[in-house]
Amino acid sequence: MKKVLVMGGEALKNQAKGPVTKHVLKQLADHPPPEDIRTIPKIDEERCIMCGTCINVCPTHCLGIEKDNKDNGMIWILRPQCMWCGHCQTYCPKDAIHIDQDATLSYTLFSFNVRQDFDMLVAKGSFKGDVADKKLQELIEEGGKKLKEIEEFRG
Amino acid sequence: MTEYRSRFRSLTDGSDAPEDADHHIFIGPQHPWAEEPAHFIIHLKGERVVEADIRIGFNLRGIEKAMENRTWRQNVMLVPRACGICSAVHQNVYVRVVDRLAGVEDQISERARLIRMFSLEAERIHSHILWYGILAHDAGFDTMLHITWRDREIIMDIMEDISGNRVNYSINLPGGVRRDIKPELVPSVRERLKKLRKQVEYHRKVFAEEASIRNRLENVGILTKEDAKKTSPNGPTARGSGLPYDVRKSFPYELYDKIDWDLIYYTEGDVLATTLVRVDETLVSIDIMERCLDQLETTQGELLARVKPRIPAGRYMARAEAPRGEDVHYGIADGTDTPERYKIRAPSLGNIDATLKRMDGEYIADMPVILRSYDPCFSCTNRVMIINENTGEKMILNQDEFARKAIKAKKYNRPFF
Amino acid sequence: MSAELKELESILNVTLPEKLVEEVLKVEEGHFDVLCTAKNAYDLMKIFNEEAGIYHLSTISGIEKEDEFNICYHIQHRIEEEIREVPINFIITKVDKKNPKSPSMFDFFVAAEYYEREIYDFYGIYFENHPFLQRLILPERWPDDVKPMRKEYSWEQVKEITMKITKESLEDK
Repeated sequence: MKKVLVMGGEALKNQAKGPVTKHVLKQLADHPPPEDIRTIPKIDEERCIMCGTCINVCPTHCLGIEKDNKDNGMIWILRPQCMWCGHCQTYCPKDAIHIDQDATLSYTLFSFNVRQDFDMLVAKGSFKGDVADKKLQELIEEGGKKLKEIEEFRG
Repeated sequence: MTEYRSRFRSLTDGSDAPEDADHHIFIGPQHPWAEEPAHFIIHLKGERVVEADIRIGFNLRGIEKAMENRTWRQNVMLVPRACGICSAVHQNVYVRVVDRLAGVEDQISERARLIRMFSLEAERIHSHILWYGILAHDAGFDTMLHITWRDREIIMDIMEDISGNRVNYSINLPGGVRRDIKPELVPSVRERLKKLRKQVEYHRKVFAEEASIRNRLENVGILTKEDAKKTSPNGPTARGSGLPYDVRKSFPYELYDKIDWDLIYYTEGDVLATTLVRVDETLVSIDIMERCLDQLETTQGELLARVKPRIPAGRYMARAEAPRGEDVHYGIADGTDTPERYKIRAPSLGNIDATLKRMDGEYIADMPVILRSYDPCFSCTNRVMIINENTGEKMILNQDEFARKAIKAKKYNRPFF
Repeated sequence: MSAELKELESILNVTLPEKLVEEVLKVEEGHFDVLCTAKNAYDLMKIFNEEAGIYHLSTISGIEKEDEFNICYHIQHRIEEEIREVPINFIITKVDKKNPKSPSMFDFFVAAEYYEREIYDFYGIYFENHPFLQRLILPERWPDDVKPMRKEYSWEQVKEITMKITKESLEDK
């Protein structure tokens, strides 16, 4: 009988305190991530000269470019493949690409879809608007085909 | 050398076991984020181990072949992914090989070298605290696991403020470092290091004086100095057996010869000696970090020197002291912007022979502690299968049950089965 | 060349006969390269191990050039009084590509067993008198005659073989 009383008392106390996850969320809110945490790249349109250095230095080949001989072009990124390393920021000659300006991206960025989550980072000059949208659709479709191949392989 | 030849048996069915063994055990390969997931085959007679053998190769990713397709600049970010916990050390050795081959070694400023040393020592601290927490869990003392891993959060928060990431710091680049330690962060870092030092001194008191841990670790798996000389272990495994060699003292790199610090070694050779080597090294690392911060206040310099994408022909071998031992890289360049051959040897591969020698003649209940002592990382998803050779019956245990049976056997002095 | 040979002899306190050593190079202060051919390698390593007292082997790496293989043993000479190490890269040159063979150093260094098995897996070099030369790292179903680190296999070919053996093992279950 005494055991039931003790256990009942503990159960009521825990009910009153609320779920433990509340305390975890409060602790996360008290210690936000630092201001210059590394996240995915963002390009400043004014400064980019479409030289292609960031494409050559990326270790995971997640950036892609299409341009013509003048200053027009577009750059896209496959977001889940980027490993937040920062080489594009280190080697850009015009300091146009940054990975540590938006700290909220570090806990809001998540994607299960590893082949189709493309994003157009910048589109300049004659490549703005329709051309960029069409290219994005093409990339997403190609990614869908690769997904299908993998599903068939797994059987 | 015939005692080492008797270890070579055929691989997994155990059909040609030694004559006086009556069981054999597999300790299986699946465990996440270890440098060396391994499959151990242990032959037993009653409770004592007669022989032990190993199979490795479950984590082969082909990094050396992949590095030949990428440029030297892209490989700076591929190399730290060779290991989860010692990522800063692998990147540091790679960057030193590239610095030397490109000829920019003298242009690296003192400030960049001090920041590199800071990140290396921070990594040593968090790796050692992780290791002795899991060792306490294997020995049955779960409270120490929770206490030590709570204190490990202090060093992870410090490095997140400085480098932006908790584990893969990626600060080293050929020619210097990528980020600076801002002066307004330094007071809070110093305060947190003081708090960490008090906690680690408490951990040392527990490991050295608490009777229940000493009972599990003392006089278990003794590796004598002659055996250590024959099997060439490296790192804290060797320093626990009386070989006082540390790459930071014997072939110094990166200003380790300009800062004053002590070399730790013990001569007893059992598992308690390797544990105390690592706990004391954590305290020494906190010292080195504080001295680096002191010297950073007065040195200025540029952070990154320019290195061209094409590296002239040559070859160079560089080593560093990772938390687990001695890390060797050997790079050959041929004038283009991709490497011709790059060889990496992670430190745990060299300690396997010494660990198998430690197991001879020990009880089966000491196996988890001995396998943990050279610092691999088994985790909850491996399975232990015990086959009785006479009757053919099988019994499957997983990691937690294996450890619990071992704890009960040692505590009450009872047989294992 | 002979100045560096003399310096190495004075550090190790041993005499190295000229006919065994092909060349000695100095990489930096306290770091040497010793080159020799496959016929003389065993005798030279015997001098290093038994007379000079070198007992620590760090690793062994295999290198492929256009018409030969090279095998490099990274050994460390330890000076007890000063706690100093002198790394020596012992490079065996002119290992024939069509029939690669080399003497095994298991008698001097027990740790050489794993590293030589790894080179046999990846390059196909056969080590004579090795007690247990079997597969170490490659998976079980990997075909025996494909040695992946050789330059004749590109990354795509290796990837194809991996996918093939994965598919076979999935179908077996």
